[in-house]
Amino acid sequence: MHAHPSLPTARRILAVEDDPVLAAHLDSHLGQRGFDVTLRQNGGEIVELVRAQPFDLILMDIMLPGSSGLEVLAQLRRHQRVPVILMSALGAEQDRITGFSQGADDYLPKPFSMLEMDVRIDAILRRVAYEHEVPGTARNEDPQLTFDEQRTDVSLNGQWADLTTTEYRVLETLVAHVDEVLTKAFLYQQVMHRAYSRHDRSLDMHVSRIRRKLQAIGYTAGRVETVRSTGYILTRLAP
Amino acid sequence: MRLPNRHSLLWKLIGLLAVLCLLVVSLQVDVSQRIQEATARLPAPTRQILTDYAQQAEAAWRERGAAGVDEFLNTLRAREQVWAVVVDDHHSLSSQALTTLERRKLDFVRRIDWPVGRPGGRPTFYIPFSDGQSRLVMELPLHLDPRKDNGRWNILLQHVLPASLALLFGVLLYRVLISPLVILRRQANALSAGDLASRVGAQVTRRRDELGELARAFDHMAERLESTVVLQRRLLRDLSHELRTPLSRLRVAGEREPDPGALRQRLEREVQGMERLIGNTLELVWLDTERPSMPVEAVEMEPLWDLLREDACFESGWSSERLPCELPAGVWVLGNLNGLAQALENILRNAIRHSPEQGVVRLTGKLEGDFWHLCIQDQGPGIEPDKLEQIFLPFTRLNAARPGGDGYGLGLSIARSIVQLQGGQLWAQNTTPGLSLHLRLKVYKL
Repeated sequence: MHAHPSLPTARRILAVEDDPVLAAHLDSHLGQRGFDVTLRQNGGEIVELVRAQPFDLILMDIMLPGSSGLEVLAQLRRHQRVPVILMSALGAEQDRITGFSQGADDYLPKPFSMLEMDVRIDAILRRVAYEHEVPGTARNEDPQLTFDEQRTDVSLNGQWADLTTTEYRVLETLVAHVDEVLTKAFLYQQVMHRAYSRHDRSLDMHVSRIRRKLQAIGYTAGRVETVRSTGYILTRLAP
Repeated sequence: MRLPNRHSLLWKLIGLLAVLCLLVVSLQVDVSQRIQEATARLPAPTRQILTDYAQQAEAAWRERGAAGVDEFLNTLRAREQVWAVVVDDHHSLSSQALTTLERRKLDFVRRIDWPVGRPGGRPTFYIPFSDGQSRLVMELPLHLDPRKDNGRWNILLQHVLPASLALLFGVLLYRVLISPLVILRRQANALSAGDLASRVGAQVTRRRDELGELARAFDHMAERLESTVVLQRRLLRDLSHELRTPLSRLRVAGEREPDPGALRQRLEREVQGMERLIGNTLELVWLDTERPSMPVEAVEMEPLWDLLREDACFESGWSSERLPCELPAGVWVLGNLNGLAQALENILRNAIRHSPEQGVVRLTGKLEGDFWHLCIQDQGPGIEPDKLEQIFLPFTRLNAARPGGDGYGLGLSIARSIVQLQGGQLWAQNTTPGLSLHLRLKVYKL
């Protein structure tokens, strides 16, 4: 059912969730997906645990019995750069404006589906994997477009598309993964360096503008398509 | 320091105090001057008494000479406890000659119609006999001194009068300042006791000073409080009603549905619906109570409409030609992208839901001064003119036949709250055919 790229070696995930039912589901679901899951019910000793064993990702509730997830996060951040996804039933409204999840890599408002969680986890692990790659190996190759890294713009037959820097980065990422579905969570992580929330429309806006600008310069070699409730894909079109 | 405006209490207080000071000073000066004048000369009865003494002295002198004068003087001194002599030029007419001191004293005598002289002094008067040569010279007896009550007058003027005036002004000030506060306190108590309709009222709010401001602020607060509490009560009532519907469906399905696949689908659908309902309700409450400040940015309407259209087409199965964007080129508004997207999405969903088969929903707009006036127009049946405002109230569903599956009637409330928080306006109008949702949003200027 999930179209996730297979990940090398078992990744270690620390899940901190006080609700035993949800925790059991998290454990079995992530275990089935091939993760090595460590489960904790409260925020105590998390910092020590993380210092003792390396984790690839931490999944943590904001409201933990005995301590605040945000405090734990702040303590973790003093020593570690391990990616953290916060979960919370506080509601998505506040997050849209205040961004109280600042400091976390992503934020999952409860209730969420396991599918949604998978997308977020994959996006972060993928971004981390890219960060370890040698920079400058991106394949900015397109049959029609010429990429100008200095100008952060593309041209077709000498005509500039007038992209903004963010639009350029989005397009660059889409071109580098042509014919591959990129989740919104991944694009937010990779290009905009922030967590994706359900109400955030800025990426959609960037894509919408990219489409208009590419159309304006007569680009026909591909099309940025929306993959419903997932993300975007650049589809090659036959010449 | 900035001066308060001309209706401020400061001026009232300064005015009252100034009037008090002026009154005290002028009353004192004026009244004491009048008293001085009134007591400067001997009153007629006193003069008559002195004249009578002179006549008695003259009679005694005429009848019995020096012996008569001696007797008269003894009687007079004994009665009035004063120094008195009867003289003819500078010679005593009695048997006792004048001492040097008495002789000197005769140089400082005054007629009875002259002023009594310096306060504190004891004036000496002379009353001539009928021959014009001899006269009675005597000190004024204490009980006949017109100034004998001046001490009491002074206490009255210098102590009692200012104190009474201060008392009077204090009461006046108290009435000016405290009576509105008493009303305020009464209304605040009523409010805290749960009477949300309590207001201070025009009697105080129409004042233009600080107390009026306070009263207006209080009424404003009470208004907000009432509307919030009323909204939340309504939301809670409606929400519990709305939640019971999917819950009862789930309960029945759990008891009666034999097929696990169908049950699972039902479960998913109902959970999604409840999630949306709770999410929307909480959002509405949050928008109303927190009044979050939405950071504004430049938003280009055409690409925004594109992405909303794409979502809407996916949800409704419409073709994108049925959602045309007829805006002039380059419509940039000043708003919050996410909020605006959500508001327009809700409006669009509503329009699509009420559109006829093959209906079209179009976006038009024109520039009006500093605002873009946008219009989203459907070809549905429209609504009754008196319901045009009602559709923005939460849980309003004009078509009661299709509850639940038809949305919860929260979309337009949320849209209006969001638009207003960005300094815009949202209202509905009937057009022929269909309904138009009008949006006024600030123009983004480069």
